[in-house]
Amino acid sequence: MAVLTPELRAEAERIKARYPAGRERSAIMPLLYLVQSVEGRVTQDGLREVASLLGITTAEVEAVAGFYTMIRLRPTGRYVVSVCTNLACALRGARGVLEAARRTAGVPTDGELSEDGLFTVHEEECLAACDAAPVVAVNFANYDRMTEATVSELIEALRRGEEPPPARGPFPGDFRLVSRLLAGVPESVGAGAPEATATAEEPLR
Amino acid sequence: MSVEPEPVTLTIDGKEVTVPTGTLVIRAAEQLGIEIPRFCDHPFLDPVGACRQCYVEIEGQRKLFTACTTEVAAGMVVHTQNTSELAHEGQVANLEFLLINHPLDCPICDRGGECPLQDQTMAFGPGESRYIEPKRVYRKPIPLSPLVLLDRERCVLCARCTRFCDQISGDRFIEMFARGAGQQVAIAAGEDFRSPFSGNTIQICPVGALTASTYRFVARPFDVHVADGICGHCSAGCNVRVDVRRGEVVRVLARDNAEVNDAWICDKGRFAFRAADGPGRVTTPLIRERGLEPASFDEVLGRVAEWSRGARVAFLTGGRLADEDAFALSKLARVAFGTNDLDHRRAFHGGLAEELEAASALRVTYRDVERAGAILVVGLDAEQEVPILHLRIRKAARRGARVFVVHSRETRLSDVAEHLLCRPGQEGAVLERLIEGGAAGSDEERVARALRTAEGAVVLAGSLLAEHPLATDVALRLSRRLGAGFALVPRRAGDRGALRAGVHPALLPGGRRLAVASERAEVEAVWGELRSSEPGRNGREILEACARREIDVLFLVGVDPLRDVPDAALARRALENVPVKVVQSLELGELEPYADAFLPAAALHEREGHLTTWEGRSQRTRPVRAPAGLSRPDWEIFAGLAEAVGAPLGFGSVEELREEMEALLAPREVSERPTAWVGAGVPQWLDEVTLFTYPLLVDEGRLSEGASELKAALEEPAFVEVHPEDAERLHLADGGWARVRTGAGEATLPVRVSSRVAQGSVFVPFNQPGLEANRLLSGRFTAAATLEAVPGGGEGARGGEGIAGPEAKT
Ligand code: SF4
Ligand code: SF4
Ligand code: FES
Ligand code: FES
Repeated sequence: MAVLTPELRAEAERIKARYPAGRERSAIMPLLYLVQSVEGRVTQDGLREVASLLGITTAEVEAVAGFYTMIRLRPTGRYVVSVCTNLACALRGARGVLEAARRTAGVPTDGELSEDGLFTVHEEECLAACDAAPVVAVNFANYDRMTEATVSELIEALRRGEEPPPARGPFPGDFRLVSRLLAGVPESVGAGAPEATATAEEPLR
Repeated sequence: MSVEPEPVTLTIDGKEVTVPTGTLVIRAAEQLGIEIPRFCDHPFLDPVGACRQCYVEIEGQRKLFTACTTEVAAGMVVHTQNTSELAHEGQVANLEFLLINHPLDCPICDRGGECPLQDQTMAFGPGESRYIEPKRVYRKPIPLSPLVLLDRERCVLCARCTRFCDQISGDRFIEMFARGAGQQVAIAAGEDFRSPFSGNTIQICPVGALTASTYRFVARPFDVHVADGICGHCSAGCNVRVDVRRGEVVRVLARDNAEVNDAWICDKGRFAFRAADGPGRVTTPLIRERGLEPASFDEVLGRVAEWSRGARVAFLTGGRLADEDAFALSKLARVAFGTNDLDHRRAFHGGLAEELEAASALRVTYRDVERAGAILVVGLDAEQEVPILHLRIRKAARRGARVFVVHSRETRLSDVAEHLLCRPGQEGAVLERLIEGGAAGSDEERVARALRTAEGAVVLAGSLLAEHPLATDVALRLSRRLGAGFALVPRRAGDRGALRAGVHPALLPGGRRLAVASERAEVEAVWGELRSSEPGRNGREILEACARREIDVLFLVGVDPLRDVPDAALARRALENVPVKVVQSLELGELEPYADAFLPAAALHEREGHLTTWEGRSQRTRPVRAPAGLSRPDWEIFAGLAEAVGAPLGFGSVEELREEMEALLAPREVSERPTAWVGAGVPQWLDEVTLFTYPLLVDEGRLSEGASELKAALEEPAFVEVHPEDAERLHLADGGWARVRTGAGEATLPVRVSSRVAQGSVFVPFNQPGLEANRLLSGRFTAAATLEAVPGGGEGARGGEGIAGPEAKT
């Protein structure tokens, strides 16, 4: 099943054309983001579509997609809450922040997607802001010096539809939008792609 | 071509060694006989430094270095585990790490007893682990294909398998998925490991993570007999090791030979090893009385001799004979029976090129291909026909060679080569334009220039060229014009040996022309006077003569004309009309109702002998077991028959036979005469649609009998491949059905619409399940055809097993 609309396919071709002939596979990351902006994650169909766009095997695409935590292969919420648990953050209470985030978001034990499908909460490696530990990122925008209380507030605010300002820069918007931004393709292109909401978790492969 | 790199001198464990710049420390150590433990390092793969096992200490450096990724430097002083406590400790620690998640299930692991991890843990490792936590657990094994099984718990993430697929075969179906502790070798959901080279990943996996479905729980290294053999499936001549357990072949492995197959073999060579142990094998001589009845060899040979005395006798052979067999047959036919009606060929090149090959006057080797600056492949689908040559062409491309393919169908070289697609039979015309330099601004002009300017070009001509009587010589001529090497690449393992031996109506051993007195005399000096100097009938003419009852006794040696000859109707008529048919083979198969006598031949791994590669390299193959039952090497049967007719061949042992071969088969210089090709433009014809066919690697061929896993992995049911524009014109849809009609017959086949195939031509594989394509042919591997759409498949269709293009997966 095609994931990209014809307009987005044309965008994909444009992205591909940025790279020298014979090196089109370098377009793999922007294309994955593009697919992610449509699906809210990257499904097998999405991987296959990227593979066929680049003329490589699906395995090659999945190898890259699986390496980067920004590319989500499992059902994913509208907000991806990444809690850094590396050393600096760990020493300043990241474990508790993570637990609070999971609790507030309503993530079942052993899962990462909240029951309402709104949040994905997962552990992240160093977010490169150790001076502001513990750090939490929502859709890749950092929130500094979080505590159990502030992370819960943050999540509640998101649930109410508010846009709490991150430590730097504007609020990034939902996960699809952010993915679109990272793909370098304006939101307006190919609008009207089918809505897909995340539901039950798929088992890990 | 390139300048030799500067030599560098360094010291390893106190010993000096001088190696070229760029050499890796691990290789330099090997030259001194110093073994550094390793898992990911492989001499034929690019270094990656993934396993961290090969730590060495380098004086003046603060940290340990991985020997497999570190290049030598002048004056470098290296200490391996032998002279450095630090390096030793590093290696021990690393082994402990590698084993943390390793299941240590050696007792049930197929690798047990020949496992580098086991061996190196014993040799260099800690012996004991401090790890007491639960280990990572995965479901095991998971099939990557019907041939290759993956046990992720055992994997040490060395990336040998994935690098092989990336760098060597180019079939990038398996990859490293995920990261960290969860990293694993994997295949994408819904994709198959559809590579004809997949088995190599099993062999180079340094642990038991990749195992072969054919070898699961079958044997341990200490309960097999092994022998060094040569693969008999194609003319690549791969060096193999054959493992036999309790008399049965259970495994074939590649042997390293950098001159031939590097460290690789194809999946057919590796997994199609059961044919000689199959239910169809007949190992007793048979003679037709009321039915075919067992008899002694002497009795059958006596009867055959009786039938043949004074009769008109002809010999057809297949492609599996060893060089010795071919030579003995060439002598038998000419000396004992006085006939020149003998042929081994399926495609008739004729011309000068063939003669030069027969004389061993053309010398292109794997190394020449590997080092070539440009390679032109014509009428050859190397991946399917001579797979290891395909890998060598890819290797050349990786080293910078420009590769061009003139063919009617895009081959799997497409990611490294430029294809000039043309209709079958028109290759000669394309080549001619390349000789002329190509029209201004055309692709051909560009290709011609690239070939002209390349350093060390090579032209490789395949059997599809034989479809045009002049094309092969045009290819030869082009190579001469370019100053390029030229090789006529036959498909079958015995083809080159048979051509050299003179299993040919017009050529005697060493390519000496029968009709030329001086050349004939050289053979007569060894064989005595030959009865006839008239060239005999070629394979096709022999069958025609049989059909007209102009031949009395037809010997079928390792050949089944009903299946092998591109004219099934003619084959049948021939068998029905020739009075006596003598079958010499491993089995009777469909020839059972026709055979008047059967002589059981030994399989390749049951006898001593040589096979000659497409390059002309003769390689020795050794037996791993005795001939089954009463079967004998073909040459011995020929010798016995010669005795029975009272004209002994004069050799009682392989040694004597080889002495005579050496005398007659030494490479000869052949003065190059102008060929039939006159440069006036090779004639062309244009059918509405030209059907063409050649055998795919994994098909219904008899040598692949019993290879069920191989077939499940790689065999495709018959199909017809049509260019999109032709499909539109003929109203054919991808996945639909077409009735294909030729002058010889018709078949209903699933349609694949693909721009891989040249416009105006359609491809059907020669012998896939569902179609013996020779029913559509009248002597050539091409035919004029018409196609019409058949709604829903029609009567000719086979019951709907998954017949669909590979694209049709969801
Ligand atoms: S499966 Fe074998 S070859 Fe492949 S990475 Fe694992 S250990 Fe290495
Ligand atoms: S390439 Fe040819 S010779 Fe080598 S293993 Fe395959 S079939 Fe055998
Ligand atoms: S450790 Fe958390 S941001 Fe660096
Ligand atoms: S052998 Fe050197 S790192 Fe693996």
